[in-house]
Amino acid sequence: MSDIRDRVMAVYCTGAALVLVTGLFTIIGFLVIRGYGVLDATLVFGDVPVVDALLLKRQVFNGLFPAITGTLALIILAMGLALPLGLASGIYLAEYAGRRTKWIFSLMVDILAGIPSIVVGLFGFSITVFLHNVFPGRIFPCLMISGVALAFLVLPYIIKTTQAALEAIPGATRLTALSLGASGLENLVYVLIPTCLSDIVAGVVLAIGRCAEDTAVIMLTGVVATAGVPTSLFAGFQALPFYIYYTASEYAGPSELNSAYGAALILLGICTGLFVLAHWIRLRVGRRMGIPG
Amino acid sequence: METKNRESRTKIKIRDLWFSYGKRSILENISLDIPAHTITSVTGPSGQGKSSFLMVLNRLWPEIDGARARGEVNIDFGDGFEDINRSGADLARIRRRVGMVFQAPDPLPMSIFQNVAFPLKLLPKTRRKISRDALFSKVASALKQAFLWEEVKDRLDDDAALLSGGQQQRLCIARALVLNPGILLLDEPTSSLDEDAVHRVEQLLLELKKDKTIILVSHYTDQVKRIADQGLVLRNRRLVGHGS
Amino acid sequence: MHRGERLARRVFFIASLLSVSVGLAVLGFMAALGLPVLESGMLWPILTDPWSPDHGQFGIAAMIVGTVYIAGLSLVFAFPVSLGTAFYIEVVRPARGRVLEKLVHLMTAIPTVIYGFVGVFLLVPLVRDLGGQGSGMCILSASLMLSVLIAPTMILFFARSIARVPKSHLNAVAALGGTGYQKTVYVILPHAWPGILTGLVLAMGRAMGDTLIALMLGGNAVAAPSSIMDSARTLTAHIALVIAADFDSIEFKTIFICGLTLYAMTGLGILGVRLCGGRGQ
Repeated sequence: MSDIRDRVMAVYCTGAALVLVTGLFTIIGFLVIRGYGVLDATLVFGDVPVVDALLLKRQVFNGLFPAITGTLALIILAMGLALPLGLASGIYLAEYAGRRTKWIFSLMVDILAGIPSIVVGLFGFSITVFLHNVFPGRIFPCLMISGVALAFLVLPYIIKTTQAALEAIPGATRLTALSLGASGLENLVYVLIPTCLSDIVAGVVLAIGRCAEDTAVIMLTGVVATAGVPTSLFAGFQALPFYIYYTASEYAGPSELNSAYGAALILLGICTGLFVLAHWIRLRVGRRMGIPG
Repeated sequence: METKNRESRTKIKIRDLWFSYGKRSILENISLDIPAHTITSVTGPSGQGKSSFLMVLNRLWPEIDGARARGEVNIDFGDGFEDINRSGADLARIRRRVGMVFQAPDPLPMSIFQNVAFPLKLLPKTRRKISRDALFSKVASALKQAFLWEEVKDRLDDDAALLSGGQQQRLCIARALVLNPGILLLDEPTSSLDEDAVHRVEQLLLELKKDKTIILVSHYTDQVKRIADQGLVLRNRRLVGHGS
Repeated sequence: MHRGERLARRVFFIASLLSVSVGLAVLGFMAALGLPVLESGMLWPILTDPWSPDHGQFGIAAMIVGTVYIAGLSLVFAFPVSLGTAFYIEVVRPARGRVLEKLVHLMTAIPTVIYGFVGVFLLVPLVRDLGGQGSGMCILSASLMLSVLIAPTMILFFARSIARVPKSHLNAVAALGGTGYQKTVYVILPHAWPGILTGLVLAMGRAMGDTLIALMLGGNAVAAPSSIMDSARTLTAHIALVIAADFDSIEFKTIFICGLTLYAMTGLGILGVRLCGGRGQ
């Protein structure tokens, strides 16, 4: 009797796993089959020679180069803002905060992490409106605003990974340096952070992936369909995910659609590549330190 | 003649020591003297405050959430007794003078050399400025004292985590010795070691006793018999045995 | 040295105060910009009117229905698959499950816009042919794709809850000759159901918060939907579509009510999870 129920359960679970895997491979497979053929230098640089494009000697009009550089600029800007703030906050929550402060602060961080990215984008947009009223005619949605808003989006992830990494350090490891006369800060700098650095770095790499993939925040705060390689913090910019979204509805012909397939494949490559990198960092360095990843 | 005099001198005077974690009482009303240049063993059932007792002796307990120690812990660092458990005492200074080695080897995430040099790096600025040669010779002599020098002298820049368990434990002892503390506390230092390594550590302790006061938590009665000059037994929060 | 210590502590504290205030500032801005609209007796019209700016009607009821409809349906699709997959990973085939778990982990890295893009060119034509009417951009398309997006959140959370069931209990059942089914019904489910519930709440939050899939596949009609083949618009998509309007118009101000609604729904979900003892992911 229970034998049959056991088998039914096994069949159901295997079926569920199969449905999931089939769905995933259909999505990825479709993209790879349609997009693989268009992956070449022309996709990125159009008809401009690669070296000229990289040295910014000539503008690329019919390639993904401006979108890729825009995404890169966005990542640098957002991470540059979110990283110091997130690391410091994570350290405070893990090492300094009292019990009550920690409960309230980490609840707020969880809520921040749960805010839909379009709402974060709307927040960025309303800051723009606010600044626009203060400095009439000077502030519009732009790369800077997008970077700030995106920094808010990834901030809670950086805080949470930093906090979790520090809190996972066993109690004995915390006492060693203190027993040798180290202060709390010295313990943090020389022992605790180096011990869990791989976990923190892995979390940061995943946060970079979020900056690269997010569309909702930037579409409210300054991304545009054509802007060229970003040269100013206070101008519109292009980005890979927005290009994919925009082209999916506005494409004018098969060649534009093809380049959107290529863009999707490149973005997928970037994001899974970052994910694998994060996994590798955690596994390789983490195992050597004897801390389970 | 001189050795005899030094042996009879008292190094640590504990008076009416109480220790608790939150509401749980761990040690009650402990008073005792520990003479200089001896090995004192601390034994008793597990979870009865042996490790807490050590943490009182180098004032490490404030780092543990909910821990509280009351009473006097007077230590003679060479210029008369001072109560290290008084409020306002300089914790870092006390911990530098009372070395501690934990049960599990705990190399810091840095090279072998840096591990041993680490306590020197933590000294106040005025005392930290020593030449590279002086630093090297201090590290080397600590490693020699811990009988580890021969095994690591050609790989000082290797990560300390690559050493074997026995080597790691001797590295931790060397790290505790580099500041030349007058007192050395060891919490079951041999429990994770093989027989050969146990023997080496025991020889090392007998050697160190010549100019240090050593307090050793151990649950190996034969080990205690082999090397301890006197023994303390903690049971039911109280000191029940005290003698050689 | 003590000064450095105190300075560091202060710097870390100020940083975390800033971080926390970001979450509050989002709420503050939404409230400051959105609530004035409500004060002029607009609450009822906004909750009940249709969305028709040309006629001075700015109701968001259809978007709330659309959000709940699409997110709820995606949960209906994703839950049985996720539960089965989680049990596959932890109970049915633990060895092969590790590989599958890595794959599920990898899924969390796939950009939303990719799902949306593949949805437009693969799923929508399929649904259009199957339904035999309309554009194929409808609740069904959006929620099917959305279920792929939220499945990893659920699977990983479920699997973690299952893995946290004490081994000793499982061994006790195994020692009595218990099968995988008996372990599941008598030990795992009684232990893991709070975790499963938490995973559901978090997945619902993620489904309601997503913009791109609903925007690209849902059709964005402003009428309240009546069937899964109907086109619908979510609150998130609504914000993205209305943003271009004039800053001072009522139309523009009502999207802050949408933002506030989304903030409240996800925030309350997380608060609920937290009060029931769990910590979000």
